[in-house]
Amino acid sequence: MTATYASVRERLDQDPGFRDVLKRLVDLSERDYYNPYREFQWPDSLPEQRWWMTPEMMVEHGTAVGATLSEQQLQTISRWESINFYSLNVHGIRELLHEIIARIHTTDFVAPSAYFHHIIGEENEHMWFFAEFCLRYGGKIYPSRAMSLAGPGVAEADHFLVFSRLLIFEELVDVFNQRMGQDERLDPTIRKVNEVHHRDESRHIAFGRQIVAMLWSDLRDRIDQSQQAVLEAYIKRYMIASIDSLVDPLIYKDAGIPDPYEVRRQVLADPSHPAYVERILKRSISFMTNTGVFTSPLFEEPRRAGAAS
Amino acid sequence: MSNGFDVVAENLRTRYQKVQGNGEQIPPGYDLIENRVLDSLGFVEFILLLEEHSGREISIDSVSREDFRTVESIRKRFFDGV
Repeated sequence: MTATYASVRERLDQDPGFRDVLKRLVDLSERDYYNPYREFQWPDSLPEQRWWMTPEMMVEHGTAVGATLSEQQLQTISRWESINFYSLNVHGIRELLHEIIARIHTTDFVAPSAYFHHIIGEENEHMWFFAEFCLRYGGKIYPSRAMSLAGPGVAEADHFLVFSRLLIFEELVDVFNQRMGQDERLDPTIRKVNEVHHRDESRHIAFGRQIVAMLWSDLRDRIDQSQQAVLEAYIKRYMIASIDSLVDPLIYKDAGIPDPYEVRRQVLADPSHPAYVERILKRSISFMTNTGVFTSPLFEEPRRAGAAS
Repeated sequence: MSNGFDVVAENLRTRYQKVQGNGEQIPPGYDLIENRVLDSLGFVEFILLLEEHSGREISIDSVSREDFRTVESIRKRFFDGV
């Protein structure tokens, strides 16, 4: 269990369990392949005065600001919040594709490269139907707010961080997809987009969990406790920032809500918000804890020796 | 100098003090990116603050990291001549 490997390639190549998982995922991708361009009906418009998101999943749910808004206002917000949600998917998939393409058929990633082809193909198709939804029913894709600046500054952690970010992003989205794909209050087109995405993402998440756990078990032997604490703190910040990006002032602006920046600030500062973050990220937090990446709850400092306060 | 810029400058000073662990002012020409005062994860919140207080929407496609390199470059790009 505690074997030390000379390289990431060796770690990924020599695990028979990983090889079995990869083979099974490739088989499933081939078996379940579909043509996304013919999968959806795309009606000309969707009813505006209806829920576009599951109301209990909206970030305003349970907040003081949310309580001041009428159902009609919340439904209008749900429309733009869903356009923002799918826009975030478009931008997130762009990052995912960029990172996977940078690794496919390189020395470290010989073992998973056959499956990378399926991920790239499937994610390209997801990006297409999310963009299609935004453009047809919102008239736009909300712009990305992200800029690539410094990360946590731990040498050797690059692969681990990339696949961790991708996994957290996919699991976060999947929590919404699972719920909204089944919610009868939503239009059938909205349910279908979420349901189809959930079907494919379950494979990507299974892969993500495998590779993140393996990369962590390899990395933790190479870095000290204080570096592990830096990575833990960074991933926690990434999780919280990901949830915060679900709410953007542009949503409130488009929904006709006055003072959109202040509304966002109040939603994020609401006493109920940390519980919302933990509820949405429950699976990811459990995974990071069980894998040994997290040594403390999401909103607490790492409990590793040498952890910065 | 506008009041909007004062709010942004104060936010940067708070970030700087957190990174440095002291209560000093940001030195002129200090590199906010190199020194991780602005990092990837904190950037979204900063850009929203900048939008709110400069009074204009900021498209990431139309800015570069050099616009955020120093306090002076931020003022020049987003506040001067507005």
